[in-house]
Amino acid sequence: MNFKITFFTVALFFQISFSQEVKKDSVKTNELSEVKVTTATRTERVLSSLPLPMTVITSEAIMKSGVTRLNEILSEQTGIILIPDESGFEGIQMQGLDAAYTMILIDGVPLVGRSAGVLDLSRVSVGNIERIEIVKGASSALYGSEAMGGVINVITKRPKKDMFSGSLSYRYATFNTSDANTNLLWKKKKFAANLFANFYSTDGYDLDKSIALKNVEPFYNFTIQPKIYYDFSENLKLIVNNRFYDMKMDNVAIINSENYKGDAKEKEWNSQIKFEHKWNSKLYSEYEFYTTNYKNDSFLNDQNNILFESAYYNQWLIRPEIRTTLSLGNDKLTGGVGLNYETLDRTYFEKSVNFNSQYIYLQYDYNPTEKWNLLAGFRYDNHSEYASQFSPKLAVNYKVNENFSLKSSVGYGYKAPDFRQLYFDFTNPSVGYTVMGYNVAEDRLNQLEEQGQLLSRVDGVNFIEPLKPESSININLGTFYKKNKLRLDVNAFYNSIENLIDTRVVAQKSNGQNVFSYFNISKIFTYGLEFNSTYDFTKEFSVSFGYQYLTAKDKSVLDNFEDYQYIRSSDLQTIQIKKSDYFGLYNRSKHTANVKFAYTIPKIKTDINLRVFYRSKYGLFDTNGNQILDKYDTFVDDYFLTNLSISKYIGDKFMLQAGANNLFDFTDPSQISNLAGRQFFGRIQYTF
Amino acid sequence: MKTKFLKLSLLALFIFTASCSSDDDNNEVIPVVTTKVSNLDASATTFTKFSFSENKVVTNDNWDIAFSKTTILVNGGVKKADTEPNRTGSGAVSIVSSTFANVTLFPAASTFAQDGTAAYAIPTGSGNGWYSYNMTTHIISPIAGKVFVVKTHDGKYAKFEILSYYKDAPATPSLESASSFYTFNFAYQANSTTTF
Repeated sequence: MNFKITFFTVALFFQISFSQEVKKDSVKTNELSEVKVTTATRTERVLSSLPLPMTVITSEAIMKSGVTRLNEILSEQTGIILIPDESGFEGIQMQGLDAAYTMILIDGVPLVGRSAGVLDLSRVSVGNIERIEIVKGASSALYGSEAMGGVINVITKRPKKDMFSGSLSYRYATFNTSDANTNLLWKKKKFAANLFANFYSTDGYDLDKSIALKNVEPFYNFTIQPKIYYDFSENLKLIVNNRFYDMKMDNVAIINSENYKGDAKEKEWNSQIKFEHKWNSKLYSEYEFYTTNYKNDSFLNDQNNILFESAYYNQWLIRPEIRTTLSLGNDKLTGGVGLNYETLDRTYFEKSVNFNSQYIYLQYDYNPTEKWNLLAGFRYDNHSEYASQFSPKLAVNYKVNENFSLKSSVGYGYKAPDFRQLYFDFTNPSVGYTVMGYNVAEDRLNQLEEQGQLLSRVDGVNFIEPLKPESSININLGTFYKKNKLRLDVNAFYNSIENLIDTRVVAQKSNGQNVFSYFNISKIFTYGLEFNSTYDFTKEFSVSFGYQYLTAKDKSVLDNFEDYQYIRSSDLQTIQIKKSDYFGLYNRSKHTANVKFAYTIPKIKTDINLRVFYRSKYGLFDTNGNQILDKYDTFVDDYFLTNLSISKYIGDKFMLQAGANNLFDFTDPSQISNLAGRQFFGRIQYTF
Repeated sequence: MKTKFLKLSLLALFIFTASCSSDDDNNEVIPVVTTKVSNLDASATTFTKFSFSENKVVTNDNWDIAFSKTTILVNGGVKKADTEPNRTGSGAVSIVSSTFANVTLFPAASTFAQDGTAAYAIPTGSGNGWYSYNMTTHIISPIAGKVFVVKTHDGKYAKFEILSYYKDAPATPSLESASSFYTFNFAYQANSTTTF
């Protein structure tokens, strides 16, 4: 441990001492072209001037890292941790908030299909990505529900000028993993087209060979994304963007020592039709019609090949939206209006359910002087199932000088109760407890009571008031510094979340088990500090360092600590602990850090990319009988991961790449199910 | 980690001895003895009946508490299901949040409850009574700091604390551990007094 801290301290000082040397050395080097982004304001803005905390991952960075799926590249970013849920999907934890609170967009429109709150990010291939924009902190003022913790927008490549170009790539890796990609871009005058296709297959991996289940069972998937562009004129452009995704995975289970086998399939379709309309130099509009459908189907057969269990999930989202931006000198007024129509049909729902909502948002981007930028906006959502939401946001950027700026933002975020929390009706087959959605609980409880299945109902529980959305206040305070070879930004964040939805016992069944439903229960808060820096030692060698400190706690635990103050020691005796022994929420690490080295050898056209990641200890669940995580609990030990990739260019068209993810083969099979061992890979890419 | 537990255990032991010695100063009552019962089999649907004064499983009506799976009965109140034994005594339970050693005074009479038609004196279900059920690991853990002060079938007092629901009380039970085997500590006060 001490060694690890020392290592990072040294790494940090290393950088600072070198940055001081830079001042002596007054050579001005590579003025990076300013990165332009759109997710934070829905208009094009220069990254460094934004008053919000934001990260951009470029296509070049993705390519050099040698990874192929969205979850892999996101897990390499400071302050983003991937957490596997019960279904095995990896979700994103950002600023200490769970995956359910980050909205994932592709080309500005959302992915759906959160069967248990988490989106399967591995279904997005990175093969055709232009850049990934990550906005941290509450973004409901533009994006509404789900964007309480932030927004990740995956922006795909688009042909800009007359061209025919493309790339073909094949990558083979450990676990018999194949990834084949092709991306073709074509434009001629008014017509343009883009075709992306990806095939991915793997044998999965198995960390514990003694049990018949693998951590990841074999699966394959393919993605086809055709896009067509037609420019009616300079001022009116049409984009038709479709994405098809299809996955098939082996479904294996052991229930009461019996083996079951079957399939699990996922199908997704996204369709975006968009007109970009420039009325004049001041007025610009976008008209967008988005439809998406996410389906999964799975079944299990017993040893005699007789159907034992099947499950399905079928979600639709239809969203027309109109956005308009009016330029007023240096300032911009952006407004949008739209509606959502969502339906979901799934196992454990009595019938198909649907949501309807309408929304409007307005944002003013105000630049009174060279130094000041003010962003003020709000969004209003009117929803069929819960109270209307008003989400304001205010952000300020102050440019102290050419190299240094200060930024701050305050925003309201919310997440609507999801379909499951409202309509679930599930009884665990082996244990016998029941979970009911809030909107169906009253009727179902009455039914169970009539059937004599209830022992008692908990006093004072009723379902009269609708379930409230979870809501948050988010505050960010940060700086941005860039001079010569050093780039550095720091952001302090605070999130306070109210009305967090959790399960609570509503009745007891005659089998002694509980009936649970969802309620607005706890209040949690997270705060921390994120630090990112990059230093270019030479044109050929640069090092970047990222670090996040995080505290995430449940306020109700702190307020009622007397209910949690007794723990059981390893010899099962009861011991009283102090409030300060409370560690915080599950699955949160206080410290996460990364160091990335990029080295180019121009002579032999080779890039070497080495990344080291650190995650400090965290707890997965209570292990000593007080129902919270305290410092006497059993923790998952801290660990390091190292990824290496080496790329060699041959001529202008060929690239060969080789490397290893998790180079030192670190695994913790009993506690970290989503960490496969070392994976070597090789890739060949042809670009024209 | 282990040394911290050791230190805490030593601390607990110290508090325990300290509290015992203060009892000695009173010179009135003999301090109660803490007895550990291991692997009480409650896997059957018929309840396993236990007597504190006899320190054993009994089959007659002189029982104080009875176990079947996660349900615990007290010998006082109303019978709810056919599988339950008849309540022939005047038993009741008061639930106290504390360490076992620190429960020295009998709780107020108003805090004692008998098994009723609506609920048992020790409520069933995760988080309601003596245990919590983890939906991820499917493990049943006794909630720490739940001490049950029992008025026995014949009006005496005992206190007990459940340590484990799994056979041989493993520190970290797994799904392979045999369940419905209770390990608990109890102390029985045979004298007519108000303290343990």
